[in-house]
Amino acid sequence: MTRPHTITRERGLRLLRTMRTIRQASERIAALYPTNVMETPVHLCIGQEAVAAGICHHLQDRDQLFLGHRTHGPAMAKGLGLRPLFAELYGRTTGCSRGFGGSMHLYDPEHGLPGSSAIVGGSIALAVGAGLAAQLQKQDFLGVAWFGDAATNAGVCYESMNFAALRGLPVLFVCEDNGYSNVMPKSVHSAHDIETLAKVFMPTVAVDGTDALATFAAAGEAIASIRQGGGPRFLHCQTKRWMKHQGHEKCDIVTVDRERDCPIHKLEAFLRGSGLASGAELAQTACEIEAAIDDAIAFASASPFPTPELLEA
Amino acid sequence: MPWSRFDRTYEAPTGGRQITYCDALREGIEQAMSHDPRVFAIGLDADDKFGVFGSMRDLTHKDRVLGTPISENAMTGVALGAALSGLRPIHVHLRVDFMLTAMDQIVNYVAKWQDMFGRQGKVPLVIRAIVGRGWGCGAQHSQTLHGWFAHSPGLKVVTPSTPYDATGLLLASIADDSPVVFLEHRWLYKNTGEVPSELYTLPLGKANVLHRGERLTVVANSLAAMHALTAIEQHGLDVDLIDPRTIKPLDLDNIIASVQRTGRLMVVDYDFPFGGFGAEVVAAVTERSFDALRQPPVRLGFPDRGMPSSGVLERTYYPTPERLAQAMTSMLLGEVVRS
Repeated sequence: MTRPHTITRERGLRLLRTMRTIRQASERIAALYPTNVMETPVHLCIGQEAVAAGICHHLQDRDQLFLGHRTHGPAMAKGLGLRPLFAELYGRTTGCSRGFGGSMHLYDPEHGLPGSSAIVGGSIALAVGAGLAAQLQKQDFLGVAWFGDAATNAGVCYESMNFAALRGLPVLFVCEDNGYSNVMPKSVHSAHDIETLAKVFMPTVAVDGTDALATFAAAGEAIASIRQGGGPRFLHCQTKRWMKHQGHEKCDIVTVDRERDCPIHKLEAFLRGSGLASGAELAQTACEIEAAIDDAIAFASASPFPTPELLEA
Repeated sequence: MPWSRFDRTYEAPTGGRQITYCDALREGIEQAMSHDPRVFAIGLDADDKFGVFGSMRDLTHKDRVLGTPISENAMTGVALGAALSGLRPIHVHLRVDFMLTAMDQIVNYVAKWQDMFGRQGKVPLVIRAIVGRGWGCGAQHSQTLHGWFAHSPGLKVVTPSTPYDATGLLLASIADDSPVVFLEHRWLYKNTGEVPSELYTLPLGKANVLHRGERLTVVANSLAAMHALTAIEQHGLDVDLIDPRTIKPLDLDNIIASVQRTGRLMVVDYDFPFGGFGAEVVAAVTERSFDALRQPPVRLGFPDRGMPSSGVLERTYYPTPERLAQAMTSMLLGEVVRS
């Protein structure tokens, strides 16, 4: 995005902290993954952190966020702590889903995470249901549907957009478009253009999903409109998936240009360039996050495994 | 929890008021909506003047009855999302066959949502569907499928056979904090029976003994239970007729106790036979009470193929009270009856 950003120092640093937490946690997961301490398939979102941070910084705990299988980033941005996340990945009772969910099924209702689903597309409908609950109860919360580009091939996506539009429901549709359905590029899996289709149902905005400030700005406008009763909105966030669909390895079919594609590099360059933060400060943030991850892993490692009797309860 | 205020169970009907199965359902929904503002109904044609074969006509709280597009899969997810966001939805399907387009949501989402997150949350969702044959309706408008839903962990499956059960079990289902699939046979809609006018619930997972006898245990639910009762009464058969009322949870103790007394088991299951409810009951009784069986157990139900349309074929395809009576009589004579 070329338009100039205006942002406070505090907001910029908070966005950065969220993105760095996601990045560093993801890198740690990737590093530990081959040791099999996490017996669960992981879908990492390295390269996509700006979408999570830029949007979730506008959401409140009461807003209901429904995720797909690529959960870690938006879950952390919405408020899920490192301890319950890592404990869940380690399969422990202290995990956010008590060891029953794993990476793809994260749960933290106090922070507006009523659950996530590993079947592409379906959780979009649940977010619309949350919007319906808000409308029927005349309450001020949103349903947020979070899905990838491939989910727009699923019928449930259109059924959901149609119903949300018909009833003017307070729902934010977030399409985190990393261009791939597993290893299938969009040119192979979608004959449609996502924005054109979404516009049939609701106001739709495209945003550079590797630019945290642009995403934050676009999400702010969309969410404000929804909260004012303007009905559903669609954010199409284009981004890049640096890792393979699943697992700890780098993706060999996506070319990454660190200058152009790295959301953290971009925001840090902006904060330094505009004098909002120093290099030393940013390094300090990274160190603090690393310590928090160490703590979460120590917590997870020391936590008990579920006992088999729980399956009979 | 306002629902705890009327956790009241009647062992048997107490009043003399007779209403239809359809009106019993309608009354249950009306009472639930009046009792709890979080209860709402949603479904294809839920809000039209016919009111789901009359079971939702002229409800007081019309603002909580929402029609939907033909999008059963997403609408099931919508109902689930609403249940996770403070409401107690009743999602209704005019025919169970339509509900199958929502199997992803029903099996992968609704049924699994509590287990997936360590059973930390509630999913107060009722999915109603009208099941069973109509009149020449053919293969896509006549199915029952209760055994199929019961196969999936995380779903309770309720199949009321009487007006009294319809109200009490529907209110118990709405009050329940886990998902319930509530299946109503359309041929029961005009049946009448005693129904108390005050609020009451019946426990999910408790069978009802419809007829006492000593020589044969017949397990039958929904329309099959009424057909079996007709057969037993018309022919004066010495049969213990057990209506489990809920396929899941299943009141196996009651069934086993009966078989241990009678030594014979027949399951009348108006559904497809393979891997079905009848097979489950026969397997469970054989496992737990093999020694009590004096004869091979019998299953009666549909052939293993889609429903036909022509009346001539329908009359062959579907069991009738008369055919049930013949099978029971044969079994009581010690003859081998083929499933």
